[in-house]
Amino acid sequence: MTGPTLTLNGVAFAYPGSPFRLTDIELAVAPGELVAVIGASGCGKSTVLKLVAGFLAPLRGRVLIDGMDVTAMPPRARSLGVVFQAYALFPHMTAWENVAYPLKVRGLAADERRQRAFKMLDVVGLSDFAHRRPPELSGGQQQRIALARALVFQPRALLLDEPLSALDAALRIEMRDEIRRLQREHAIATLHITHDQEEALSMADRIVVMRAGRIEQVGSPRELYERPRTRWVASFVGHSNLWDGVVRAPDAIETPIGIVRMRDVALTPGTRATILVRPERIRLGPAADGVNNFTGKVTRDRFLGALRRYDLSVAGGSIVGETADAGAIETVHIPPERVQVIPLEGGTSASPT
Amino acid sequence: MAWITACYLAYLFLPIALLVVGSLGEVWLNTLLPTGLTGRWYLEVWSDGSFRRAFSVSLQVAAATCAITALIGLPLAYTIYSAASRGVRFAARIVALLPIAVPPLVLSFGFVLVFSSDALPYLGSLWVLIGGHVVLTLPYVTQTLVADMRHLRLAALLQAGESLGASAPQRFFDIVLPSLRHSLASGLVTVAALSIGEFQLSNLVAGFITRPYPVVLLQAFYGATGFACAATTILLALALLGSLTGSLTAHGARATGAVAA
Repeated sequence: MTGPTLTLNGVAFAYPGSPFRLTDIELAVAPGELVAVIGASGCGKSTVLKLVAGFLAPLRGRVLIDGMDVTAMPPRARSLGVVFQAYALFPHMTAWENVAYPLKVRGLAADERRQRAFKMLDVVGLSDFAHRRPPELSGGQQQRIALARALVFQPRALLLDEPLSALDAALRIEMRDEIRRLQREHAIATLHITHDQEEALSMADRIVVMRAGRIEQVGSPRELYERPRTRWVASFVGHSNLWDGVVRAPDAIETPIGIVRMRDVALTPGTRATILVRPERIRLGPAADGVNNFTGKVTRDRFLGALRRYDLSVAGGSIVGETADAGAIETVHIPPERVQVIPLEGGTSASPT
Repeated sequence: MAWITACYLAYLFLPIALLVVGSLGEVWLNTLLPTGLTGRWYLEVWSDGSFRRAFSVSLQVAAATCAITALIGLPLAYTIYSAASRGVRFAARIVALLPIAVPPLVLSFGFVLVFSSDALPYLGSLWVLIGGHVVLTLPYVTQTLVADMRHLRLAALLQAGESLGASAPQRFFDIVLPSLRHSLASGLVTVAALSIGEFQLSNLVAGFITRPYPVVLLQAFYGATGFACAATTILLALALLGSLTGSLTAHGARATGAVAA
C-alpha cells in the first residue's frame, strides 16, 4: 500500500488585505486517482491549486508530494504538470516547441526532446499541427497542447485549473473523455479544479466540495449525489428539491408544500430539518396508497432530449421533477423511501435552492 | 472621407516634398519653386565639420538612449505590470508619464541647475545629454511593454514556465525576451526617432562639441535656403534610418525567434 501522491495537511492561507481565508484544508490524492475540487467562484478552489503548485505558500500546514514535504520548495522543483485556465502556451513557440520546452529546461539533447515531443503530440492526436503556433490553433487544440506539455516530462502529478472553461459546450464534453483517457493511460494522480459540478461528477474518482474557504464534503460522485451531508452540497451537486421543515413524527415532516412522509428517522419531533428529493425520484401520477401525492400545474417544461425536466407548481411551493414520459402532468408522488433528511446546520442555510 | 485623407496627406507631405526640392535647387528667390539642379548644398553640409560632428553625436546619443531605455524599461515595465496594489500601479503610471506631461523646457532647466553646480559640473557632457534623452523617452518604452505584457498575460506564461521547471534566467531569455521582442522593438523605434529629433532639451543641455544634429541645424536657417533644406533633409533621412533599423531588428528578431527553441 503506497501513500498518497499529493497531500495537503491542515493548510491555511489568506491573501494580504483580503478577508478571504482558507482554513483546515485536508486533502489527499492517491496514485492514479482523479480528484476534482468544486465550489462556487471565490470559494478558494483555485487557491488550493496554487498552494499545491507552489505559486502560493501556506500560512500554516504542509504540502506533501509522494510523502515528501515540499512546502518550502519553489514550483519549478516540484515536478507537477499544470494546465492553466487559458492554457498559457508560449505564443512565440510552435506547438512542438511548447511541448518540448520542459525537456529543454531539463537539459535533454535536441534530438531526444524533439522525438519525445512529437510522440506526445501523437498521443493527443496533433502530429499534423506540430509546426503551428498557438494563435493558429483552435481552443480544443491549444488545450491538447497544454496537456501534452504538462505530461511530457513525466510529472509526479497533474494539476488542472478549470481546463475546460474556455471551450464551447460540445468540445467540453469531448475533452472530458480525452483528459480522462490521458490521465488513465499515464496513471497519474490528478487534481482537477472546476466550477462545473457536472464535469466533476462525470470525470472524478472523488470530489472535494469547497465553500467559503473550507472543505464541505469529500466523497465519490455517487456518495455526494446520494448522500450529501449538508443542504449546500445537496444544492450544489446535481439538481434537487430541498424543503426546510419541522419533524412531526418519526416518519413525517411538515414542509411548505405540506406533510411529507418518509422512512423513519432518528429525529425527535419538533426538530427542524431539511429534506432532499432528487428530481428523477419524483413519480408521475398518484401513489396507490395515497401517500405524498401532490397536484398542481406545470409552470416550466424543459425538453432535454431523452428527458424532460418540469416545475410543478403546488400549494406552498414547487416540485422539480424529471421524466421520460411526454404526457400531461398533474399529480405526482414522492416515494417515502426516496426522501432524504439533512439535519439543519448551525444557521447556515444561505444557498440557492 | 477620401478627400479629408487626401488633404491631410498633402498637408503632411507637401512641406517634406518642398524640402527635398529646395535642397536640390540652385537658386530659390521669389519663385514658387527653385531653379536649377545641384548637389552642392549636400556637399557643403558634408564638408562642414560641425554638421558632421553633430551627425555622429546624434547617432551615438540615439544608440545609447535605446540601449539604456531597454535595460531600464524592461524591469520597470514588469514592476508596474506585476504590482499587486492598484495604488502602486496608479502611482507608477503617473511617474512613468511625468516626462511626457512636463514640458521638456522645465526638465531641461532642472538639468541645467543640477549639472552646473559645483558638486556635479557635468553640463555639456555627452552622458548628461544621453541621460536627458533617456528620461524623455523612457515612458514610451515602458508604456508599450506594459500594454504588451497585459495583452500576452505574461504572468500566466511565467507561471507556466516555472511549473515546467524553468529557472529565472531561463524564463527571462526563453519567455520574456522573445515574447516581448515586437513591442520592445517598436518602443525602441519611437525612442530612436524622438532622440534624433529632440531639440528643446538638447539645445540647453548640450555642450559645444556635444551638440546633436537638430541643435546645429538651427544655425543653417540663417544661411542659404538650399543649405537649410539639405541639412533638414539629412535629419529626415537620419530619423527614417532610425525607424528602419528598428523595424529590421524587429523583423530579424522574429526570424531568429522562429529558429530558436
